[in-house]
Amino acid sequence: MDFLLEGFFQAFGLLLSGNAETYSAIWATVRVSSYSIGSSLFIGIPLGFCLGYFDFKGKKPIRTIVDTLMALPTVFIGLLVYAFLTHRGPMGNFGLLFSLPGIAIGQTILALPIIIGLSATAVESMDQKLRTTILSMGANRRQLFLSSLWESRHGILAGAIAAYGRVMTEVGIAMMVGGNIKWHTRTITTAIALETNKGQFGMGIALGLVLLAIAFCVNVSVSFMRRRA
Amino acid sequence: MDRPIYEISSLNHSYADKTVLAIDHLIIQAASIVGLIGPNGSGKSTLLKMLGLIERPSQGTIHFNGRPVGPFSDEARFLITLLPQEPFLMKRNVLNNVAYGLKLRGNSRNVTNRVHEAISMVGLPFKDFARRPWYALSGGEAQRVALAARLALRPKVLLLDEPTANVDAASAQLIREASLRVRQELGTTLIIASHDWQWLYEICDEILHLFKGRISGTGRETIIFGPWQELEEGKWGKILSDKQQLLVPKPPIQEAAAVIDVLSVGEDGPGIAGKNIVLSGTVSRLSLERKTGQLYATIFVGDLPFTVGLTYQQCKEHDIFPGKMIFIRYRLDHIKWI
Repeated sequence: MDFLLEGFFQAFGLLLSGNAETYSAIWATVRVSSYSIGSSLFIGIPLGFCLGYFDFKGKKPIRTIVDTLMALPTVFIGLLVYAFLTHRGPMGNFGLLFSLPGIAIGQTILALPIIIGLSATAVESMDQKLRTTILSMGANRRQLFLSSLWESRHGILAGAIAAYGRVMTEVGIAMMVGGNIKWHTRTITTAIALETNKGQFGMGIALGLVLLAIAFCVNVSVSFMRRRA
Repeated sequence: MDRPIYEISSLNHSYADKTVLAIDHLIIQAASIVGLIGPNGSGKSTLLKMLGLIERPSQGTIHFNGRPVGPFSDEARFLITLLPQEPFLMKRNVLNNVAYGLKLRGNSRNVTNRVHEAISMVGLPFKDFARRPWYALSGGEAQRVALAARLALRPKVLLLDEPTANVDAASAQLIREASLRVRQELGTTLIIASHDWQWLYEICDEILHLFKGRISGTGRETIIFGPWQELEEGKWGKILSDKQQLLVPKPPIQEAAAVIDVLSVGEDGPGIAGKNIVLSGTVSRLSLERKTGQLYATIFVGDLPFTVGLTYQQCKEHDIFPGKMIFIRYRLDHIKWI
């Protein structure tokens, strides 16, 4: 048990002393997760809204596919993205393999079904009387879309948090597509995996604590926004 | 000459292949009050949604001020508003709920004044209610706030779907008064679906009976809905709650609705004389049709209300007042089926 306690002390030491390697992994994680969550929100919210709001032929099968993709294994996404980005792959010319944008592409694929599925659920559970009320006030199409989106914001936000949590904590994509390159593509989770293998619990625990702190900050901010809204 | 604000032609609307509304032609005059009467599922709410540009009919056209319109029509969306049967308030306070439509329409001038005026019109003290959140309102208050949100828009057409159905008597009265005030002050056309027949009879210029999605009458006919039963061989009708028999000719289908024209009231009866049927009933209400000056008596025969048009002289002659027992006479061969 001593090694665990020692690891905790070491962790605080690394964080408080501003250890460059530790902060490099934290910065890489924040950047890559911001790219991926930003792009998945940008693509996923309109798609989720349309899936939840409109009735069209093939809606049910699409919904089933989206729900299934919510449980997509990260290593499988890593494998697919690797195959696409490798020099022999169709996107090999872009040079994205072993780069943060490459990891972001994989994590966007991971987050997208969650954002689409949970946004669609939020919109579907929206009171049908809301549409009548908004239209009866004289809304045009854009206002109807924006007002409906705003009224279902809490559900969409919950989807965004769930997706953010999944993106922040995944290892498979970051490891396979990013390659865990020190100072470059090493993220918090890949660093924890590596340091644990090396028996360096201090850095692993330090990074784990940072992950927890980020999750805490995100949840506190969301609760604050909810209260304000 | 009156100009129509709405003109509906060959309108047909269906849900999952079931026709819920079929209107060949309908004209509604500007600044009039039109009442919609009919049983649940007769198409009143659907018609209001079409007129309120909430839904597009499956077939047919709706003209508003001479122009074809539908959901999102720029010609009409700022002029028409609908108050649905169940009030829906946004998750915000009363002030923001009432101001919502004004902001949506880009109307940022005098918002507080207009909201203040609208909230006061529905009998809610502005100071006490403006900052109150949506969840801290009773059903009647929520309905009045929802109406205030429509009144603040100063609409040309106000569509009310059962505005007093789920509220207490005091709220119902305030809603009635506010609806009439907006018509009086702004010349707003009111189209009201309600089960409160007496109220509609009192205030409406025109009343439309809807049955199974069709307009089945435009006056004050007594409509009795099926199912009918064969009481004896070849004798169709209903046994009423007071054990009297309401006889009708053989209906085309058991669920058909009978339009019964009450020919007269009097002190003799009850009984059957040839095609004449006389039943005893109790006068429950007398109302005056504002437009024509005609009096209408609602006479309950068992638990069915019959509407009878009377002159002042007839009322005086038979000494008709609520609570009085009286006999009504109708003819079997005058009954129409819808």
